[in-house]
Formats: sequence, structure tokens, C-alpha cells
Amino acid sequence: MRLMASKHLPLVPSAQPAKRLGFLTDATLCIGCKACEVACKQWNQLPMDGLELTANSYDNTGDLGATTWRHVAFVERFEDGKPAFEQPPFQSGWLMLSDVCKHCVRAGCMEACPTGAIVRTEFDTVVIQQDVCNGCGYCVPACPFGVPDLSMFDGKAHKCTLCYDRLTDGLEPACAKSCPTDSIQFGEVPRLIERARDRVTDLKRLGVDGARIYGDDQLGGTGGIGGLNAFFILTDEPEVYNLPARPKLPQDETLPGLLSTLGAALLLGVGLAFSFRKR
Amino acid sequence: MRHVPEPEGRRGRRRPPTYYGVPPIHKPHWKWLIISYFFLGGLSGGSYVVATAAELFGTREDHDTARIGRYLALLSILPCPILLILDLGRPERFLNMLRVLKLRSPMSLGTWGLLTYSGFATLSTAAQAASDGWRVGSSGILRSVPRRFVGALGAPFAMFIGGYTGVLLGATAVPIWARNARLLGPLFLSSALAVACAAISLILALLPGQRHDALERLRRADTMASMAELCCVVAVHLNSGPLGKPLAEGHLGRLHLAGSVGVGIVLPLVLHALGQMLRLPHRLVVILASLASIVGGFIMKYAVVMAGHVSADDPAATFEYAGGRQTLAVGDDPTPAGNGRGGRR
Repeated sequence: MRLMASKHLPLVPSAQPAKRLGFLTDATLCIGCKACEVACKQWNQLPMDGLELTANSYDNTGDLGATTWRHVAFVERFEDGKPAFEQPPFQSGWLMLSDVCKHCVRAGCMEACPTGAIVRTEFDTVVIQQDVCNGCGYCVPACPFGVPDLSMFDGKAHKCTLCYDRLTDGLEPACAKSCPTDSIQFGEVPRLIERARDRVTDLKRLGVDGARIYGDDQLGGTGGIGGLNAFFILTDEPEVYNLPARPKLPQDETLPGLLSTLGAALLLGVGLAFSFRKR
Repeated sequence: MRHVPEPEGRRGRRRPPTYYGVPPIHKPHWKWLIISYFFLGGLSGGSYVVATAAELFGTREDHDTARIGRYLALLSILPCPILLILDLGRPERFLNMLRVLKLRSPMSLGTWGLLTYSGFATLSTAAQAASDGWRVGSSGILRSVPRRFVGALGAPFAMFIGGYTGVLLGATAVPIWARNARLLGPLFLSSALAVACAAISLILALLPGQRHDALERLRRADTMASMAELCCVVAVHLNSGPLGKPLAEGHLGRLHLAGSVGVGIVLPLVLHALGQMLRLPHRLVVILASLASIVGGFIMKYAVVMAGHVSADDPAATFEYAGGRQTLAVGDDPTPAGNGRGGRR
């Protein structure tokens, strides 16, 4: 039973040193055009989400889901009653960010998956193998960022693949390709991190005091996740963009939970033995 | 997409930022099928353990307890795989669960645990049936099965089936479950044993014949397990802090208090005490108390699962659970970063 992705690149780890590929999504460059959402849907042949309005600013997709793998968040704020156009011109009351699967270094969805459908690829990305997933849905609450979801169309879990098919052909993911401002940058993670640090330093020099990297394991925003391969430059608290400040790896609780249950089992077993003993 | 109003800020505290109240994590789809599995799996595992304890430590009078426990263990585990398979998005692929064993995934552990336990439950029950004079396949071989030994081997797996479901809930990003990851296993296990004692008592009381001593020992075991369950419920409440809201307030909180604690734990004790005081028929008291304990056990599992849904839908709960130290920017002092309201001069 061998899984071969294509004749060029096997899914099983090869002897060659793996590249660590990912996204740097820079909120300060996002203009909210949603080209990434559209390019993602087109390339990955994802159906539309319906003609719905969330009434949350210009956000019409609302959330990442089974058929939405890029989601542009529009944070529209009225500070002290002032509308956005009366606030400072840059990164104040009008924030945008293209959210995506973080391709965690330690991925909760992958550790939860009981079928082994969720794998780490040779690009260090996390992909759900659609021919294996049986739709148990355990990855859905196991993701600390709310990324995967079960599809109503085929009952299986879906999320961003970081365009695995494009990567195998040497192309960059569709969203990064389509981004007109390079808010979404694709590349090798260590180099992207360097670039992000430079960018944050620049932003600070420009007076954007809140500029920060979200998802660099040295700078925080990753809790027990050990870094994110798709990380972000934000200018405010992560919660403003609907990201948890210190996400935890859910499976770190598996062993303690099992041990405490074992302890309870021993105590209850002794209790039962005494209950049934002759008096 | 539904518009959720932003939560009201508390006095003296800055309103916590949320993104239009959109939940930052996804809740599981688990509903009645899974709640029923949690209940039936617990009942089965608990019955197996009680039957084994009665066999190993009980007297001649506990033979019926062990016998009913064995049959109940098999009968209540039979629907479980069906419930679990029906809950899959692609039921025809259920065998994919057996491709791998992942020690850090409670669901993978549960799959293999359930498989192993089902084997033990089947063997123990078949041996019991053979010794009871039923004509099962090869009764001769089955009669020679060392039942106490098999029971002792299977009991740890039965305990696992009773408790792992709590660990499974705990190993998620759902705030109220994750915060109580170390308590839900013991809670589900003690509830499973209490429900099993109650179910066996109920059947014993409904059968003809006097079994006062056996029922009394089952009552002792039930009370012990119920007290353990009560301790876990209180511990969950104390441990949850603000995350415990779904189990403490509102419709679900009232159901949990009245159902899991009131009907499941307190009412059986009250019924037994009243029965002794007023000299009510023992059989009637046992039947009523057992029913209360069983209903309470089901409500507890319902309340805990549904509380997870409420908790996952509450952005404030996720940000509280996965909050703490703010993210730092390059060059920041690694002490808690200011008020985080950057971006303006």
C-alpha cells in the first residue's frame, strides 16, 4: 500500500531535504479585493457559498470553511464614534486580512485524524487526502483556528492544500499568484520569516507601533503549535482579526487526560471490589 | 451567514475585540448519534466492569448480577458501531479507521479500543450463555473458557470504553472541553459505572425472585460511582471559571443541574432514604431510583456535548482559553505587550 501523488513526487518522505513552503500574508498590504478568494475557488473548483450578505462590512464569506479556503476579513471600526475616514489614514479603523489554513508545524487536525487521511507533504504543508477521508469530523473541532470543515456536498473534510497540485508542477499557489499587492507572498518559510521581520521593523519605523508577526514560533502567536507555515503580519491584537493569541495543540491533553482516566479507573475499580466484598 | 451581535463589555473593562462575533473555531457536528453512543458505550463498558467485579469479588448471590451484566454489556455495545458509522460523512469508508493507530488521537485509540473490547464482550457473553445452558456454536469450548480470567483481562478495555470519550472531547480546541480535558474522562467513566449499576439493578428488580443482598451491593457500588461523578461535576464547575458558563447558566445549565445532578445523583439517594423511612416496597424503590440514575446519566452526556457547541460558538470563550500573553512584535520587550492598540501615533 504505497501512496504516490504523482510520478515525480511521492507523498512519502524522500531522502532529499524537504523544502518548507508557506505563505506570508501581510495585512498592511491587503486592499480587500478578494482576488485570492476567487482564484482559490477557480483553481480548486470550489462551489460558491451562496448569494448571502453577512452585513459584516464587505465580508461576504464570513469564515473559512469546506468551500472557502481563503477568507478576506474586513475589520471596520468606529473608534470614539469616529468613522473610518476621520481616523488616521493607515491601519487604523479599516483593516483587511486574507485568512487561510496555517499549515501548522504541529497540526491539531493531522494529529486528530483517525484515518491518516491528513498528512504532511514533502513541502511541509498539511493536506487532507480526499480518497482516504471518511468524514468523521474530528479534525473540525481539533483545529485551534477553525480551518477544516465538513462539506455538505461530499461529507468529507476540506481545507486549503496550499495548492499541492500546483506546487508539484513548480507553480505558486493560486491565491499568491493572483494577489495584486503581494499581500500574499509565497516561498520558503525561513526566507519569508526574514522578510516579515524586516517588514515589521520598517512598519515600526513608519510609526505603526502595533505591527507584529503572528505565527513565528520565536515571536509568539503559536502557543504549543510550534510555528505556522502560513503566518501573518498584523497591526493589532490577533483577536481583532479573529485569531486566537495563544492557540494550543489540543493533543497535548491526550496523555494527561488518559492518565487521569486511568487513575479514576483504578480508584473506581477498588471501590467496586469493596462494594461487592462480603460483609 | 448569521449576524451575531458583539458581546457587551463589562464595566471597567475594555470590550474584548471580536470579529463581529463570528466564532474563531468550528464546532463539531456531533449530535444525537454520538450522544447515544457515549451513553450506550458507557453502559456497556460499565456493565462489563460491574459483572467482572461481581464475579471476582461477589458471593453466590451476585451470580445474577454478573450474568445480567454480561448480557447487557453485549446488547448495549451492538448498536454502537452502527451509530458511529452512521455519523460519518462517508459511512462506506468506515474501515479507513483501521488503516492506522495513532496514540495521540483519542478517536484512533477509541476505534481500536472498541474493537478489542467488543471481542472481550462477545467472548465473555458467549461463555456466560454457554454456561447458562444456551446452545451457542461450540458450547463445549465456550464452557471451558476461564470466565473470571477473561473478565479480568477485558475489564481495563471496558473501563477505557467508559472513559476515553471524555478524553476525546478534551483533546479539541473547544474551550469548555479543552479546559476540562483531565476531568471529562473520569466524569464519563464514573457516570458509566453508575448507569451500569442502575441498569443491572433495574433488570434484577424486574425479574421474579428476591435478591435483596445483590441489590444492596449494587446500590453500594452505584452510590460510590455517583459520588465520584458528583466530585467530577463539581471539579469541572470549579475548574472552568468563566468558560463554564454553558454548563452553569441558561437552559442547558439548568438541565445539567436538575438532570445530571438532581435526577441522576441526588434523586436515587433520596428515594432510597425515603424508601427506608416510609417502608416502601423495596422493589419499587429500586426501580424508580435506577430509572432516575439512568436518565441522569444520559442527560449528563447530552449536557456536556451540547455545552461544547455553545462554548465553541462563543468567541470570548475561545479567546479566554487561547489567550494569555499577547503576540510580540520584533524588538518588543517580552513582557505583556502594552494595550496592543497599535497603528496610531
